[in-house]
Amino acid sequence: MNKKVLFLIILLSISAIVFVYNDDFLYSKTIMKITNIETIETDVSSNPLGLEEEHYTKEISGIITNGTHKGEKLTLDYEETFSSVVTDKYRVGDKVFVVSNEIDDLKRDFYLVILASVFVLFMFLVGQYRGLLAILSVIFNSLVFYFGLILYQNHMNLTLICIVESIIFMFSSLFIANGINKKSMVAILSTFVSMTVLFILTFVLIKCIDYSGINFNEISFITVPYADVILPGLFIGALGAVMDVAITIASSIGELIEKDSKISAKALNKSGKEIGKDIMSTMINVLFFTYLCSGLPVFVLAIRNGFSIFNYISTNFSLELTRFLVGSIGIVMTIPISIFIAIKILKKGSEISE
Amino acid sequence: MNKILLLILLMLMFYIDKKRGFKLFLSICLNFIILMIMFYFIAIGINPIVVSLIGCFIISYIILYFVNERNVKTESSMKSIIIVLVILAVIIFGMTIFSRIAGFGYESFEEINMFSYDVNIDFTNIAIAIILIGLIGATVDSSIAISSALFEVYENNKKLSKKELFNSGINIGKDILCTTANTLLFAFLGEFMTLLIWFESLHYSLGEIINAKTFCAEMIRILFSGMGCVLVIPITAYITVQTIFKLKKNPYLMHKEL
Repeated sequence: MNKKVLFLIILLSISAIVFVYNDDFLYSKTIMKITNIETIETDVSSNPLGLEEEHYTKEISGIITNGTHKGEKLTLDYEETFSSVVTDKYRVGDKVFVVSNEIDDLKRDFYLVILASVFVLFMFLVGQYRGLLAILSVIFNSLVFYFGLILYQNHMNLTLICIVESIIFMFSSLFIANGINKKSMVAILSTFVSMTVLFILTFVLIKCIDYSGINFNEISFITVPYADVILPGLFIGALGAVMDVAITIASSIGELIEKDSKISAKALNKSGKEIGKDIMSTMINVLFFTYLCSGLPVFVLAIRNGFSIFNYISTNFSLELTRFLVGSIGIVMTIPISIFIAIKILKKGSEISE
Repeated sequence: MNKILLLILLMLMFYIDKKRGFKLFLSICLNFIILMIMFYFIAIGINPIVVSLIGCFIISYIILYFVNERNVKTESSMKSIIIVLVILAVIIFGMTIFSRIAGFGYESFEEINMFSYDVNIDFTNIAIAIILIGLIGATVDSSIAISSALFEVYENNKKLSKKELFNSGINIGKDILCTTANTLLFAFLGEFMTLLIWFESLHYSLGEIINAKTFCAEMIRILFSGMGCVLVIPITAYITVQTIFKLKKNPYLMHKEL
């Protein structure tokens, strides 16, 4: 049975990869497959700090693979740099988008599909059906999230959308992760209570001191007022970690009650805290590295442009730190809350069933 | 605002456990300093892949031995993390070079237009470094979960065979897969909500989104973080089982702090 599913996954992945490699006809932009690259000029320029950078003017020729000009040859100039800060280094065999006779961007969907297929394969090999369910919940949650953004485009309040979405996320993720049972209900309730407290806390803090000390210049890609997106962003970012802690505590306390139904609430509280301590540190570190490493490229640019390291750190990691701190507060707060709720509900349940 | 948040976090951590809370706080500070030193080394031109691999070892060392104490459990976690990092480094290297996610996409130009781009440092290696540093937290998390749970299982039932023990390691792994996948997903969604709103408000087509450098770089990062978590599960289970059976021969080593 498993072998059949594995075979099916591999077959689907390969066909997806082959399809995406040949899906040029789906794009309205012209796509060119590079057949030849020649360097026609090499230049050296330097920035105010005296760092020397090589620029290469390349003559790239290729064959158009879609649209009305399919099969025609095309030769374009492209300027590459050694650093590839804003340019790319193309190779023979690459497919690139061509917009008004200039190379616009690489066709990356092929690589994305390869990596996604490998990921699905790993998930199945290690997690079997649970792994596939995890992927399903991730896809479902992303779709819900995207649907919320469409609603936001139609002028609904983003904070409100995110709160409603979070409740959907709680149910979908926890039921899929753990099945529909009492432990999941406990986890959902704990997540709900913790997220409410966290939301009120952040909201009051923001209303009282109005984002003081946070540098908003570092929010990239901003097309809307920042006050619209910052609170929902903090909230959604913390949700996953809070759910993770809630389900871990709920299942371990459930496990303890199952093993020994006469266990006292005090003993449960103590073991719950022990487990909480163990997961607290690693969970906080997950958030820390997930958030903070994304600042690296701009950091390198700034240092290489002569910015002082201390000035840069103090002004430019503030938002990442806020995200990290809010998430961590969520994690730590969920520990006592979910212990309390788990003991109340699960203990009571086991007493009645006796 | 961050100061107040930090104060709240500290109070909560001390409420849970004074000693562990203090250690955790210290390890976060230490990790922050190490991260900044790594960033600085990369910025002055030392090879980013070497810096990030060495940095990741130091960071896992701190998380494992400083917060969770040095013992047989953390020892086997550390070994598995090193193996996973080395395996993934090779795949990440190939993927980054082929998918050309180095540097900045069009969406970020506004953010960086105050800088000169002539910086003479290859951003391909920097992209690899970001992925490696980003996945270390999640990988350490699932590795330590597996190894400590396996030792717990062994303590409760010492008659289990190698195969049974390995299988229960994988079973525990299945439990954490779904929640970890969602933790990562939401952390990324929270961070990239603005990017998604950007795509939506500028009416990007699906084709434009999935080929955009900014989007692909993020997707590849989240996929590799997930792969780190998944890959570390069987490797940790295998190494932990081997360690347990090695210790079975001389049991007095089992509870000895290494």
